[in-house]
Amino acid sequence: MTALAILIVAGPLAGPVAAALRARARAAGLASAAGALVSLAAAIALLAAQAHRAPLTGWAGFLYVDPLSGFFLLTVAGVTLLAAVGSVAYLSAEEDAGTLSSFQVRLYFAFFGLFASLMLASLETGNLGLLFVLVEASTLASAALVGLEGKARSLEAAWKYVIISSLGVTIALAGTLFLYYSATTLHLTSNQRLAWPYLLAHAAALAPQPLRLAFLLAVVGYGTKVGLAPMHTWLPDAHAEAPSPASAMLSAALLNTGMYAIIRFLAITQARLGTTFPHRVLLTFGFASMVIGVLFMVRRGNFKRLFAYSSVEHMGIIAVALGFGGVLGLYGALLQTLNHAIAKAVLFLDSGNVALRYRTREAAGVRGLLTTVPVTGGALLLGSLAVLGSPPFGLFLSELTIVRAGFARTSPVFPLLLLALLAVAFIAFARSTAGMATGHAATPPDPYRGSGARWAGALPLAAGLVVLLVLGLWIPAGLNTAILHSVAVIR
Amino acid sequence: MVEKLAATSAAGILLDLSGVLILLLAFACLGSKLFNRYVAYYGAQSVVLSFAAGVVAWTFHSTELWILAVLTLAVKGIGIPLATRRLLLHRLPLARDTAISTGLSTSLIAGGALTAFAYLVTRPQLLPHGVVAAAVVPLSTAVILLGALSMVVRRHTVAQLIGWLIVENGVFLGAITLVATFPFIVEAGIFLDIAAGVLIMLVFVSGITRELAQASAGELRELRG
Repeated sequence: MTALAILIVAGPLAGPVAAALRARARAAGLASAAGALVSLAAAIALLAAQAHRAPLTGWAGFLYVDPLSGFFLLTVAGVTLLAAVGSVAYLSAEEDAGTLSSFQVRLYFAFFGLFASLMLASLETGNLGLLFVLVEASTLASAALVGLEGKARSLEAAWKYVIISSLGVTIALAGTLFLYYSATTLHLTSNQRLAWPYLLAHAAALAPQPLRLAFLLAVVGYGTKVGLAPMHTWLPDAHAEAPSPASAMLSAALLNTGMYAIIRFLAITQARLGTTFPHRVLLTFGFASMVIGVLFMVRRGNFKRLFAYSSVEHMGIIAVALGFGGVLGLYGALLQTLNHAIAKAVLFLDSGNVALRYRTREAAGVRGLLTTVPVTGGALLLGSLAVLGSPPFGLFLSELTIVRAGFARTSPVFPLLLLALLAVAFIAFARSTAGMATGHAATPPDPYRGSGARWAGALPLAAGLVVLLVLGLWIPAGLNTAILHSVAVIR
Repeated sequence: MVEKLAATSAAGILLDLSGVLILLLAFACLGSKLFNRYVAYYGAQSVVLSFAAGVVAWTFHSTELWILAVLTLAVKGIGIPLATRRLLLHRLPLARDTAISTGLSTSLIAGGALTAFAYLVTRPQLLPHGVVAAAVVPLSTAVILLGALSMVVRRHTVAQLIGWLIVENGVFLGAITLVATFPFIVEAGIFLDIAAGVLIMLVFVSGITRELAQASAGELRELRG
């Protein structure tokens, strides 16, 4: 079991190794994809092996994998695989076109693997201090990806990202400090006082006032990484300027890692202070993020920024679902996390195809994708429908679950507001992407040399859409059990 | 379990004194306009911080805390200021910070208000048990807020970097006075993060400054003749 946990973290490091051996984009990309595949297989194996057993623990609580970590490991490893396959296509096209030097390509794969590995490691630790260390380290690795192109705009976006996120995570460290302090009266060793399972088991003895402060600071701090408004300001810039597969990683993996940290704090806070206070905090930040995300989606412009604001909106939905609480709310939140991750990975990878062909990131500069490049255009249209929560895709199911949870547990004002915001989001988002997909235009030059790269560009889109479709029609029994076990961990 | 450190003991007085000095140095940084000074005040603050960590280490006979005190001195007191000076201030001649959005007196008054607020929310009475030195907790909260304030009012990247480092110093001061120390592996990881963070930020800062310099030089060429 421990070997599986190590394999999950070590898998993505194949990319950095290939980069160190001076591989070109195609080889380094294939190595990354193979590593990510190993990682995903190990995550599935671990989840299956864990289903009816006690959590995996080791190394004085620094290693701790329970069903909740298992579920997030599955999500992040899956996204890493999609993004790694997408990287093969995107980076070899950029290398062939001479937009990125071979040094930049090697830098990309080195930091891509490091980023994925650090995120997966942060999901495997039960020590909240080490969680901070790994989350901050993953920020640094991903900042290098955002600034990779080295132009003034991307450097500025990378700077904004690294400084705002670092400040945010430092605030989360202050939260961790107050949590640690709230346990001073307990007879635990210093390692145990930061170990999540011990803190949860002894939650009744924690000092309430410092715990309240700790939860607030953690939501603000890790919320900066999640992109909860008003701490989201780095998010659109970083997502727009990063190479598209890296944007997919940011939106579909990094944001979820931040949310995972918040969920860990939520569980302890709920156990001590009851649900009223943490739910109020999460509902406030959740609706603020939804409103901000939807408002900025109305403006037409850069399509990667549009997708980024949609991520802000979806993180808001997940926070609202956590704020509704109950089995239904938590189930909806986790299912939404998985669905959104896959849908957003598809959209950002597809945006890479569009950006490579048209050499623009402005929605107004792109027309007629359905006729000129049917695969890209079709994926854009289907991906948009999926991310907006139309049936038969998975997000419809998870958003329905969340709305039901809202009606069951809070006043009907909240779920109605949620539905209204979803409707506005649908109109705003679809207006841009439908405009890009329809109409007539001349066929742009093909950026890919050889059918291998073209396949690598299309494969993750198809795979992601199929998974989304399946999740909309039928939740596999194993996944259902995993989510239910995770919900039991939080409650 | 951490014992309390009496406020009247020699160690308690030294710790209080260091806390006040650290706060004053954060104010000094907020009230300055020269990049050189930002770095100098930050370096001095880190030296005082390492002294405070030494005091707690000496009181509790904690080897781990001694190591942290030495690390603080080496990384934050000497390493980071030296690297910032060598790699940024000297190479890209930077002298006077002109990208400040409020006047210095306004930011100092706001800093005073934030310090008062810090005392309001983290009064020693609110933190009942096990605190090493309760009087220092509001000081460290104030340092965190002052660092954040200087990041807000300054738009230059170097100034923001120093602001973040001051916030981090505030959290570290809070850690040594609130709970003595985190587990050692965690503390060592935090140090590693900060060192890596400063390195990557230095790369971005010099990249941004170079790009901006090229852009403005381009404009100059176009306007000629």
